[in-house]
Amino acid sequence: MTEARIAGAYIKGWGDYVCEEGGELTDLKPILKATLGQPVRRIGRFISLALIGAARCLEGKTPPPDTAVYFTTGSGDFEVTVEVMEHLFRDGFPPKPLSFINTVSNAACFYVAKSFGLTGRSTCIGSRAFGFETALQLALLDLKMGTIRSALIGSADIVLQPVAIHRQRLAQAPDAPLGEAAHWLWLTADGEGGALPDCRFFASREDLMAWMGGFDPDSTVLGLGEGLDDDRFSLSRTFDYRTGRPYYDSRTAAAPSAFLTQAGSGETMLHVSTDGAGRYAAFTVRR
Amino acid sequence: MRRAWFHGAGLHTSLGATLSDNLDALPAGPPPPGMTPVPLGDSVEAVPSMLLSGLPLEDVETRLWRALEPVVEAALAGSDLTPAQRARTALFLGTSSLDISVTEAIYAAALKTDPGAHPLMTNAAMGGLAEAIARRFGLRGPDYTINTACTSSANALIYADAMIREGLIDHALIVGLEIFNVITALGFQSLALLAPSGMRPFDAARAGLVLGEGVSALVIGATPGPSGFHLRAGANLCDTHGVSAANPDGSTVAAVMQQALDAAGLKAADILAVKAHGTASLLNDEAEAAGMHRVFAIVPPMLAIKPFIGHTFGACGLNELLLVCGAIERGCLPPVPGISAEPGELGLMLNQTWVPVGRGAFLLNYFGFGGNNTSLVVAND
Repeated sequence: MTEARIAGAYIKGWGDYVCEEGGELTDLKPILKATLGQPVRRIGRFISLALIGAARCLEGKTPPPDTAVYFTTGSGDFEVTVEVMEHLFRDGFPPKPLSFINTVSNAACFYVAKSFGLTGRSTCIGSRAFGFETALQLALLDLKMGTIRSALIGSADIVLQPVAIHRQRLAQAPDAPLGEAAHWLWLTADGEGGALPDCRFFASREDLMAWMGGFDPDSTVLGLGEGLDDDRFSLSRTFDYRTGRPYYDSRTAAAPSAFLTQAGSGETMLHVSTDGAGRYAAFTVRR
Repeated sequence: MRRAWFHGAGLHTSLGATLSDNLDALPAGPPPPGMTPVPLGDSVEAVPSMLLSGLPLEDVETRLWRALEPVVEAALAGSDLTPAQRARTALFLGTSSLDISVTEAIYAAALKTDPGAHPLMTNAAMGGLAEAIARRFGLRGPDYTINTACTSSANALIYADAMIREGLIDHALIVGLEIFNVITALGFQSLALLAPSGMRPFDAARAGLVLGEGVSALVIGATPGPSGFHLRAGANLCDTHGVSAANPDGSTVAAVMQQALDAAGLKAADILAVKAHGTASLLNDEAEAAGMHRVFAIVPPMLAIKPFIGHTFGACGLNELLLVCGAIERGCLPPVPGISAEPGELGLMLNQTWVPVGRGAFLLNYFGFGGNNTSLVVAND
């Protein structure tokens, strides 16, 4: 079991963008301009989504300049990677310089940092089943160690046309609704109110069950993460934020804000996901 | 307070297929790069490169694993982990290009039978490769894929070290991986950043970089290892000057070096030697040199590893660290004769002879696209 548990990881803000995409993709430029207050040149959908989510999270507030950025994505900037690969292998053209640079997923971190004046540490991190949890855990670890006092934790996933082909890429059923999404949280070491005190990984279900025994079922709801459809563990009350939501890889990142929007004061969500191979990840959100 | 000590390691670069082979090759000096032909439409582009020794650029779909498996096996074998420890070991994969070489080969093959084929139909998940490595080697701890361009595996080490210090894990396997791929090769070609004559960091004649391939693995653990080396501290900051170049005034480079020194509880004068990032590009060497002069009143001996193995991008953090630590364990800092032999316009000299070195602290720099700047302080005290 690995864990990151701290006394202070207070939720300063959160922001989301989710849009189901089935035909013509939503034009993100006006949304980005309206959200950020200005256009950003020479970026594609992936970076635009990351910026929209981060701007909605910050709501015009200015985070400390040493705020760190932890960013996760299921598959990075599909749009620019597919464009570069088609140019190279199908059309026989070299990549455009900026397209090549933006194939690195941490380009999104750069634009978030630049847009909000941040110079703290910056990390793009992934894990097939636990992307959001890995980003959250590193942020909690840095907050606990005092390396940082403020963190932005976010995700972005885009859809690429043709959507039917993109469904295949994501191993989704032919009729599965797909979405584009970005979710961001702003955590600080000092504060009051809602918090994300804990994020842990478990090598087995037994390890997870042993830890879950310490939670009060009257004040704790089970957040139903990926792969948990038929498994309720010892908590009778559940929180389902995935039903009715289109599929995108970093859907777990939607859980904290979805819970915070609906929960009563003092309630805790214990969110659990599994990779389908017996490993689990869990985090808690306290309203 | 817990520390994370270096244990078993493996390394495969253009110099050799084992860490020992790599270290044995250093006395011969930086070898000349080769030129790798890369088909592009009806033409062929020649790309300066330093490919993995003994592993021709053939059967690309399996080549990544043929490179990776022996390196990881060597690191695990050198660490004496019990089966239970191995099962709990966390994996930190630091890479810029992941398994895009495999994805490219699959797409190129698909286009031969179907001109309308789509790319990225397999291997699309960023965490897929790490999960496969964990499964292949029986690791059931969490797996993390750090994708911060050329700082990836250096940042992977920082986080693995922090988790051990905090008692979250007892062992971590850090893997640096960069395998030749067309996107990277022709991407840097399109940026006009490649130098057919080899890498000459900080030199007046510097003309850019050479693509390097490298696979490295290091196990770190909470108990002392055979080498005595450990990460004393690390720092990572974001430089928003530009997405592909550090601030040329050196301020952001100096900031990350200073933060690493502060975290290590050291002064600049305590550093015995500096391993430069040294991409030999005009702007980034200018920024690194300016940063060095801001931090060091007297610049300690500087060495550069990229002339030996090329720029191994996301893997360079761990590749270069293993070569530096290994050379120090053998008692000397490796020279790059004839490269930055005199302090030129940037005012820096690189190490020109085999300089004996003892125990102490060493600073290693890494800077990447996306403004990602990282400095490590390693020590064998």
